[in-house]
Amino acid sequence: MMNRVFQTLNIFFERVMGIGCMDIGGLLKELLLEDKVAIHFDFMNGFFDINRSIVISWVIILVLILFMLFITSNMKVHNISKKQLIAELIVEKLRGITYGMLGEEGLRYRDYMVVVLVFIGASNLVGLFGQTPPTMDLNVTASLSLMSIILVEAAGIRKKGMKKWVKSFAEPMAVVAPMNVLELAIRPLSLCMRLFGNIIGATVIMELLKMAVPVFIPAAFSLYFDLFDGLIQAYVFVFLTSLYIKEAVE
Amino acid sequence: MLSVTVMNIIYNVINLLVLFIAFRLILFKRVDSVMTKRRDEIDHATDSAKKMEAEAEALKEDYSKKLQEADKECESIISKSRQDGFDEYEKIVGEAKEKADQIITEARHNAQIEAQREKDAYISELTDLVVHAANKIAVSKHDEESDKELYNKFIFEAIEKSN
Repeated sequence: MMNRVFQTLNIFFERVMGIGCMDIGGLLKELLLEDKVAIHFDFMNGFFDINRSIVISWVIILVLILFMLFITSNMKVHNISKKQLIAELIVEKLRGITYGMLGEEGLRYRDYMVVVLVFIGASNLVGLFGQTPPTMDLNVTASLSLMSIILVEAAGIRKKGMKKWVKSFAEPMAVVAPMNVLELAIRPLSLCMRLFGNIIGATVIMELLKMAVPVFIPAAFSLYFDLFDGLIQAYVFVFLTSLYIKEAVE
Repeated sequence: MLSVTVMNIIYNVINLLVLFIAFRLILFKRVDSVMTKRRDEIDHATDSAKKMEAEAEALKEDYSKKLQEADKECESIISKSRQDGFDEYEKIVGEAKEKADQIITEARHNAQIEAQREKDAYISELTDLVVHAANKIAVSKHDEESDKELYNKFIFEAIEKSN
C-alpha cells in the first residue's frame, strides 16, 4: 500500500511539478521503508532484531558518558579547573531550563527532563556527522513519548493519590471524561509524531536540497535543519512533557 | 523505519534508563556533592563570621562597660584624692595655726615672765638703793639741805637706773 502511495506521489511530482528527476518517491522509500535492522537475530524469527537507530543511540550514550567522565574527573571544591566549570555550568543551566518549565512542584523530575533534552538534542545533531538521527526512527520517538506519558501519569498519581487521579479525568465536568481518557493516548502520540515528523521532514528537505543544489546551499540550510531545528525539537519535546507534568502535579 | 516493534521500544527504554542512571551517577551526583560541600563551607564560614561578629560585639560592649567603670573609678579616685588633699591641707594649716598660736602664747608668756623678772630686778635694785641711801643717811648728818641733796641724788640715781 505504501509503495502505491509513493508511486502516486512520484507521478504527481514528475508530472505536475516537473522535478521527477529528483526521484522523491525513491528518497522517501529509502528513508522510511528501507530495512534498518543493524543486528539480526535468527532466534524467534527476528523478534529481537536491533535497529540501526538503537546502535547509533548506543554510540551517542557512550560519547555522552565519556564526555561526562572527562568533565567530572578530578572535581574539587576550591580552585576548580575549566572543565569542572563547564560541568557545573552545564548542570546548572540545563537544570535551570527544565526547572523553569516544571516549576517548584515538579522539581524531582527535572533531572530526567535534562537527560531527555540532552539525548534528543544529541540524537538530532548526529545528522551533522552524516549519520541518520535515531529520532528519525519511530521506535525511538515512540519509546520517548511512552516514557513521558508514564512519567506524567506517575507524577499525577504520586501527587494526588490513585482516587483523586481517577477522579481528575472527570474534571472540570464529567462530560469531558472521554476526552481526558483519550488524551492519555493522544498526548504521547502527538509527542511521538511531532518529533518524528519534524526530523524526517528536515532530513527530506536536506536530501532534496542536496539533489537540487549539491554545493554551498545545503551547507547553509544544514545550519537550520540539522542544528537549529534539531535543538528546537528537543526543547519542544521536553517543554511539552514538562507542561504535562506541571499540569499533573498542580 | 515506519515499523514499530516492541523489542526496539524496550531497547530504547533501556537505553534511556541507562543514560539517566549514567547522568545521575556521573554528572549530577558528582557536581551536586561538590556544590553541596561548597555551600556547606560557605554556610559554615557565614555562621562563624556571624558568631565572631556577635562575640566581637559582646567584647566591645564589655570593654565599653569596663571603660565606663574605669572612668567612674578614676573620677571617684580623683575626687577622693582632691578631698584628701584638701583635708590634709586643712589639717596642716590648722596645725600650723595652732602651733603659731602656741608660739605666740608662749612668747607672750615668756615676755611677761621676762618683764616680771626685769621688774623684780628693778625693784630689788631700787630696794638696794633705798637701803644704801638709808645707810648713807644714817651715817651722815641730818639737816634740811643734806636731806634735800640726798633726796635729789636718790631720785637721780633711781631715774638713771630705770633708764
